[in-house]
Amino acid sequence: MNSVLQGRYAVTMDMWPLQSADFNRIHPFYDHLRQGRLTTTKCRDCGRQAFPPRVICPGCLSENLEWVDLPVTGRVLVATEEEVGVPVGFESPLIHALIDLGGQIILFARVKGCSTGELKEGDEVRLVVFPVDPLPVDGRKGETILQERVFFAFEKV
Amino acid sequence: MRNVCVIAGGQSQWGVRRATLRDMFQEAGKACFEDNPAVTNKDIDGLIVGSAYTERCSFQTHLAPLVAEHLGIKPKNLCLRVELLCATGSSGIMLAYAMIKAGEADVVMVIGGEKLYTPQRWEVNYSELASVDHDWDGAMGLGLPPPVFAAVAKQHMKLYGTTEEQLAMVSVKNRRNGLNNPKGQFREEIALETAMSARPIVRPMKLFDCCPVTDGAAAIILAAEDRAKHLTDKPLVYIRGTGQASMHNMSANFSNWTTWESLKVAAQQAYAKARVTPRDIDVAQTHDCFTISEIIEYEDLGFCRKGEGGYFIQEGKSDFGGQVPVNTDGGLLSCGHPFGATGIRQGIEIMRQLRGDAARQVEGARIGLTHNLSGFIAAHTVVIYGRDLE
Repeated sequence: MNSVLQGRYAVTMDMWPLQSADFNRIHPFYDHLRQGRLTTTKCRDCGRQAFPPRVICPGCLSENLEWVDLPVTGRVLVATEEEVGVPVGFESPLIHALIDLGGQIILFARVKGCSTGELKEGDEVRLVVFPVDPLPVDGRKGETILQERVFFAFEKV
Repeated sequence: MRNVCVIAGGQSQWGVRRATLRDMFQEAGKACFEDNPAVTNKDIDGLIVGSAYTERCSFQTHLAPLVAEHLGIKPKNLCLRVELLCATGSSGIMLAYAMIKAGEADVVMVIGGEKLYTPQRWEVNYSELASVDHDWDGAMGLGLPPPVFAAVAKQHMKLYGTTEEQLAMVSVKNRRNGLNNPKGQFREEIALETAMSARPIVRPMKLFDCCPVTDGAAAIILAAEDRAKHLTDKPLVYIRGTGQASMHNMSANFSNWTTWESLKVAAQQAYAKARVTPRDIDVAQTHDCFTISEIIEYEDLGFCRKGEGGYFIQEGKSDFGGQVPVNTDGGLLSCGHPFGATGIRQGIEIMRQLRGDAARQVEGARIGLTHNLSGFIAAHTVVIYGRDLE
């Protein structure tokens, strides 16, 4: 199948973000994830905290940003369970929840490790970080370098 | 500024098609020209092509010249592609309207389409990870997301007492209206019990609460009023006003899941430009990607008060004979939803309703509205059409 490509990587088929400093200016987010921290950027000039992290402040356009920690535990406001049409690479049922992270931010995020009917409104969840497909990158001498990657979800406490 | 009219429209067969994207663009173009034999491919001086997944599913960019070549069109004023996912077709219509109004083009075809069924079906759902914020929502497994609309429905039900039965009534109505579009994907009525007992996709969204994945194309021709008078002997249908708004993209920035603020803004802009109020709308095609969407759209377009969308469908106010018939050709739930073509299909149905030659006519309709939402309910697009200028 598709013998021309012979298993080569195509970025348009990659469901995970490019995370390293080679490809992404917000790479510290993923370094922080590896440390178990959920972070974002905050403007040192106007004080506005944005999510997802930025390279400029969406309020005042300043580049003077700093990394701040978000809570890693939160409470479920609404839970959904996708039973049909789950994308390749995700478990079925695929569970999502609106999660209130300490009143700071509300994320609509994946909740791993729950069976059908298990996750309820009001449940406490916490950040979980897991490895995802490494990124194959061309090295200088024509070799392929695999860059490790991670992503995050939540799990029931 | 010039007045702008809609003078022709047609669509390909929609559904699971044994055809390429370019095959369907040809079918839609032909159907459009056949709707009004007075206008030919030689009259078109601008071409706007809409497609969201052309690169993903057909590995083809630079689509407009390709479509022009296949339809024998040699545009001299504009030839380009637009994309706003589910609102791609309406975005093309807005752009054509503005270009003609400003005098930059005279007769513009807007044609949109998608080929979504790839040889291996897994790619259909997978491709959708590119349609929300890929790096954040996509990586959470949110495609074109039934979970999002399920979360919307749960909150709307809790806040306003909307019921699963009221949701199902939307799909029953739109399936019945689908009999009015011979080229739609589904042309079978369903009973309320069938909708209520269907298999769950993401509760409370069941099978008939969700629009299908669809291959298809549609085309519409807009012209400056002075040209339109010579290019059609049918009643003139004007574009009266448009509005398009976006106030967030990623889920984390969606501040109100049950009142769609950017829909209210887009509608307000369109109503103001068209100098009409929600009460003046005689017929509407709204974005019923999920049944809950149509219910919230009744509210945020101003057809009823906030929270009363469930009663609006229950009391038949959005059906033929009601306050404002909605999705008179079956909507997305019946016709299907090839992203680039949907807004054009809606525009064609409004054109027919206002001309008075629709398959099932809303008697005396003079003002019509189309609405699309797109992405993570992240942008809203509203177009208002009228038989009159005032």
